[in-house]
Amino acid sequence: MADISKFARRKTLFWFRKMKLNLFGVKSNSLFKKTLAIFGLMLTPIFLLAADDVVAAPTEFNPMAWDWSSILTLVLAILIILVIARAFDIGSLTEKITGKTIVSWNNVNAWAGIIFLVLGLIGVWYEMKVHGKYLKLGDSASAHGETLDSMFYWTFGFTFFVFVVTEILLFYFMFKYKYDKNRKAAYFFHNNKLEIIWTIVPAIVLTFLVLRGFSTWTKITTDIDKNSEEIEVFAYQFGWKARYAGDDKQLGTANFNFISGSNPLGVAEDSAVSSLVQELNGEIKKLEVVKASIEDSSKLWKAQYDRYVSTGMSNSYPEEFKQMKTKYMDLISGAYERQLEKDIKRKNTAIKRISAYQKDHETFNGTAKDDKVTTEIVLVKNKPYIFKFRARDVIHSAYMPEFRAQMNCVPGMPTSFAFTPIKTTEEARAAKNNPEFDYYLYCNKICGAAHYNMKIKVTVVGSEAEYKTWLATQAPFVAPPAAPAAPEAPKTDSTAVKQGSVVKN
Amino acid sequence: MSTAALHAEHDSHHNDHKESFISKYVFSMDHKMISRQFLITGIIMGIIGMGMSLLFRLQLAWPDEQFGILETLLGKWGKDGKIDPNFYMGLVTIHGTIMVFYVLTAGLSGTFSNLLIPLQVGARDMASPFMNMLSYWFFFMSSTVLLISIFVETGPASAGWTVYPPLSALEKAMPGSGLGMTLWLVAIALFIVSSLLGGINYISTVLNMRTKGMSMNRMPLTVWAFFFTAILGVLSFPVLLGAALFLIFDRSFGTSFYLSDIYLEGVGALENIGGSPVLYQHLFWFLGHPEVYIILMPALGITSEVISTNARKPIFGYTAMIISLMGISILSFIVWGHHMFITGMNPFLGSVFMILTLIIAVPSAVKAFNYLATLWRGNLRFTPAMLFSIGLVSFFISGGLTGIYLGNAAMDIQLHDSYFVVAHFHLVMGSAAIFGMFAGIYHWFPKMFGRMMNNTLGYFHFWFTFISAYLVFFPMHFMGLAGVPRRYYQFTLLKEFDVWMDVNKLITVAAIMGGVAQLFFLWNFFYSIFKGKKSTQNPWESNTLEWSTPIEHLHGNWPGEIPTVYRGPHEYSRPDRELDYFPQHLPDETAPVTAPQEGEQTAPTAVAPEETVESSVFFAAIKRVFGLS
Amino acid sequence: MNKKYPKDPAFAVAPSKFNMWLFMLASSMLFAAVVSAFIVHHPDAEKKDAWTAFDLPIYFLYSMFIVVASSITIYYAFKMAKKDEISANKWLNGITLLLGILFCFSQYMGWKQLVSLGLTFVNSRPEDISASYVYVITALHVVHVLGGIVLLSICWIQSLRLNVHKKNLTLMSITHTYWHFVGLLWILLYLFLYFAK
Repeated sequence: MADISKFARRKTLFWFRKMKLNLFGVKSNSLFKKTLAIFGLMLTPIFLLAADDVVAAPTEFNPMAWDWSSILTLVLAILIILVIARAFDIGSLTEKITGKTIVSWNNVNAWAGIIFLVLGLIGVWYEMKVHGKYLKLGDSASAHGETLDSMFYWTFGFTFFVFVVTEILLFYFMFKYKYDKNRKAAYFFHNNKLEIIWTIVPAIVLTFLVLRGFSTWTKITTDIDKNSEEIEVFAYQFGWKARYAGDDKQLGTANFNFISGSNPLGVAEDSAVSSLVQELNGEIKKLEVVKASIEDSSKLWKAQYDRYVSTGMSNSYPEEFKQMKTKYMDLISGAYERQLEKDIKRKNTAIKRISAYQKDHETFNGTAKDDKVTTEIVLVKNKPYIFKFRARDVIHSAYMPEFRAQMNCVPGMPTSFAFTPIKTTEEARAAKNNPEFDYYLYCNKICGAAHYNMKIKVTVVGSEAEYKTWLATQAPFVAPPAAPAAPEAPKTDSTAVKQGSVVKN
Repeated sequence: MSTAALHAEHDSHHNDHKESFISKYVFSMDHKMISRQFLITGIIMGIIGMGMSLLFRLQLAWPDEQFGILETLLGKWGKDGKIDPNFYMGLVTIHGTIMVFYVLTAGLSGTFSNLLIPLQVGARDMASPFMNMLSYWFFFMSSTVLLISIFVETGPASAGWTVYPPLSALEKAMPGSGLGMTLWLVAIALFIVSSLLGGINYISTVLNMRTKGMSMNRMPLTVWAFFFTAILGVLSFPVLLGAALFLIFDRSFGTSFYLSDIYLEGVGALENIGGSPVLYQHLFWFLGHPEVYIILMPALGITSEVISTNARKPIFGYTAMIISLMGISILSFIVWGHHMFITGMNPFLGSVFMILTLIIAVPSAVKAFNYLATLWRGNLRFTPAMLFSIGLVSFFISGGLTGIYLGNAAMDIQLHDSYFVVAHFHLVMGSAAIFGMFAGIYHWFPKMFGRMMNNTLGYFHFWFTFISAYLVFFPMHFMGLAGVPRRYYQFTLLKEFDVWMDVNKLITVAAIMGGVAQLFFLWNFFYSIFKGKKSTQNPWESNTLEWSTPIEHLHGNWPGEIPTVYRGPHEYSRPDRELDYFPQHLPDETAPVTAPQEGEQTAPTAVAPEETVESSVFFAAIKRVFGLS
Repeated sequence: MNKKYPKDPAFAVAPSKFNMWLFMLASSMLFAAVVSAFIVHHPDAEKKDAWTAFDLPIYFLYSMFIVVASSITIYYAFKMAKKDEISANKWLNGITLLLGILFCFSQYMGWKQLVSLGLTFVNSRPEDISASYVYVITALHVVHVLGGIVLLSICWIQSLRLNVHKKNLTLMSITHTYWHFVGLLWILLYLFLYFAK
């Protein structure tokens, strides 16, 4: 590495000197050399980076483990294509020698266009018949969804008409006006009337669609029932939680600083937040202890590192050695210490922010005590709801296709969406003839590796009573005093023991 | 350095003809060589991008199968022959980035703007050949950095090609947001520099270096399209640079432009506060939407030229075509919000964006109808370029119409980020633009390499690609309408989506077919460079100026004087001419005049050599703005 | 090129000059983006406490005076070059270069003043994001000024070599245009930051 950098420096100096010599002169070729120098300089860090060990090591060269069948298939495919290519070369050569056309590509292409058009239209019809029935359009489970579906049908009617007509014209023209050496194309390049027609007509149709879209959009987003019940939907990597207001019909305030293991939504509730502050203080103390002993541990790691190098274990256990080397490097370069300092600072900031909030009685107004955090959303038919969305870490999107509802959940920016469900789960099951059907809320904004499995069940029940019974089974946020946040640690222990016993069995 | 000095040096550089291999083929300042460099780099990036799409299609079609080859190819990302979910995201992201920026922006607009602008407006080279060369090499470096980022231990950037923060800003949020994301940002910054250098050059050449007689209203539509594309690029890429800068600050310095209220599992509450993730989306889509047209417009320009040449017919509504290009360009700057209808934006703002978005449909419709009218009563020669252009028109119609659904804020609630969106943009800007690129390659290959490509292989390439593209993207509309979200690693965990399993398989098979079809092209392309049939002077009997240059490339393009231009570029099948084409640089006197044939529309006598198709008052006004009349 | 092809028409505008205009257009867009981010981020009137309003450092005002002064000197430098007054041009170029460097220094002092107020680039209070914006905007501008300084120094060295005169004005006029652009940009940015707070 040192050699490389020395070499790079020498080269750089060399080019700089070159550049200085030629920078303002007009000697021939100087521009070229300057460019070479600039690019040399620019590419150096890239190659250094590539040479460094940030790049994954290549897998072992082991042809036996390769998937030879796939490789052979690929090679075969390429060979077939080459043979076809050769055949056509010979074909065209024969055409040239004999002077006869074997294939009239003019006709073939024109006919192929027609065949494509016919088969394509049949395909479109087939798709609509086979997959059209899976489309959710027409059986919206929410009130506003019905207007949306009808708008879809209007748009579909218009666009499908244009689609069919223009595609037919396109391939028909392709067939009708194929090349004929005895014919001359029309010298026709302009027609005001035609152009005005096909500017005005789409404009009128679009005006109609825009006006409908405008009224529907405005209705969905602004026409919200004042008596709607509020439900908070909370997104995190990778799952959803819902929060119901409880008896006081008021969702307690929440803040990301209050989030802890026992308070996953960061609800403003005194006991949970106080225990979080204690927890943070404990962590800070632990980190400070680690920081104080950093010299000793770096000595230990150095000994370890030297042992690895001297005994040749660095070669026999490359993975372990690499991990160890990173740790060792972090320790001696001070990166680890900086990280610790950063962590301590961050935790201190959090404590400072929390204590500022704790003095503020508007935040801690006690409305959060009876809130219920659930892992399922239950709604009552024909009752208006407002969903308040929050995200914990990155942007998610709450997508409920059956309800024609979607809204992004953005950290730091609360959003909401209001709708009224009009079909119970049971009704939907009956209509779809699928007894296992359930409504779901999916994540629809890329959010990480398990994005594809981030969902929460939505159940619509027929009556308020059913909903009440369900809600009663959910624990309120402040559980009976017997179970505060403290027994967190033993609980995880017990699960560990349980797992251990399972393994033993 | 002064321009005069630069030119003097340039001259001395090329008069002696003792260029070394490196200065001729590597750090070349000749626009034709640079265009070839752009094309070949673009094709290589295209192969990589397409390969990635096949990999993730494989995962979507057979989520439970194990493919041994994946472990061979991907190493630790393909353990047990299955793609790792993190790497799946990386593939999706890099596929998008490569296709949008590296293939369809640089590979398409870079190649053909470089090749055609000087040749078609009659210039010796670009306004600044040196900047032009830098433009390519910045692009090259950018590609290198992006490709290196794939091999980084924590994986490439994987937050989607739009890299929305906080996902892309927080190293702990996903592995791809570490070094891979940093390299992605470096690559994009280099790319922005490259496209600015290129764009500035294109505008300056078009406005400043046209030959005698080449007024703006005699420029081929290709040049018009490249011109507007360059303007869009110069105005919108700096905004992306701004967005990327803020993202870099947030990632590396700990500022809070985009970050606020974040609690990360395993880390705790972050200090960042006060930022707005939606701000990034605004800045990004201010580039992102014009970028769509940066991709599409060169393809439309190429198509106009190819259709007109091969239909042996003047392009219908030349002026309308230019005005609609201009309308699309202007509108593209004020519609970015339609990508963000459901980010919780002000409903009124949403309505405004919806109205502006749907207005774009009008100029687009005009373009589509004008293409149809150009084909009507033409005399169509089915060269592969012509077939690809017809394919483009077909995609442009079927993909464009679905834009009416998505531009409508109310329907976007249901369709946003579903497979419907994937189908829409892959048809209208993916397939259409790629088809435009193929049309351009087949059409101007003789100009670029002095040899012809094999037509028969071209036909096979076209039909297989065309059919497979429709098979891949058409069924996706139905998936989207049924509410299948995009960027899902697999659907097996959601019973709801089981019915789409067979469609996913069909799509993957079609995609593999499409991928194999590209082998026809690759073979044809690389074989023809060396062994293709020698080209004639004007193989397609085209009107435009580039076919008047020698077949063998020459620095300075024309050996003697630059030809003077006497008329517009689309004078095909003029009734007063025996030949069905009339090159722009031939003066009228030399033309063998014959009597108009029976049954043909008589030539409007008003078509004077000085004045071509010119009908609109509006266009005249625009000309005045450019100071041309 | 004209040497080899004597009959080629001369360009209406030197390509490099035209490219400079386009570059200025592009970088205006960059500033427009950053400034509009500032505006979008700026809270409404009723949420005043979500945004720290502070007085701009006095050095930023000094910078404005420096910019105005340097614009005057480069204007005369260009005028002198057009009149073939080579030695005056030499001096004026040198002074402009000095003023340019002084400008950067003044901006640096301005940042120091901000830091002493406790307003750093990275802040842990949400309302201090305003300071981050001021840093980004001024730093981006300084980057542009540095570009201008490179141009100016090339120009100055050329004028020392007696290469800037009536018949060789392209470099001088590019530098002149760009320097005015950078100066005007600072005046606009300063006024914006002053009134937007």
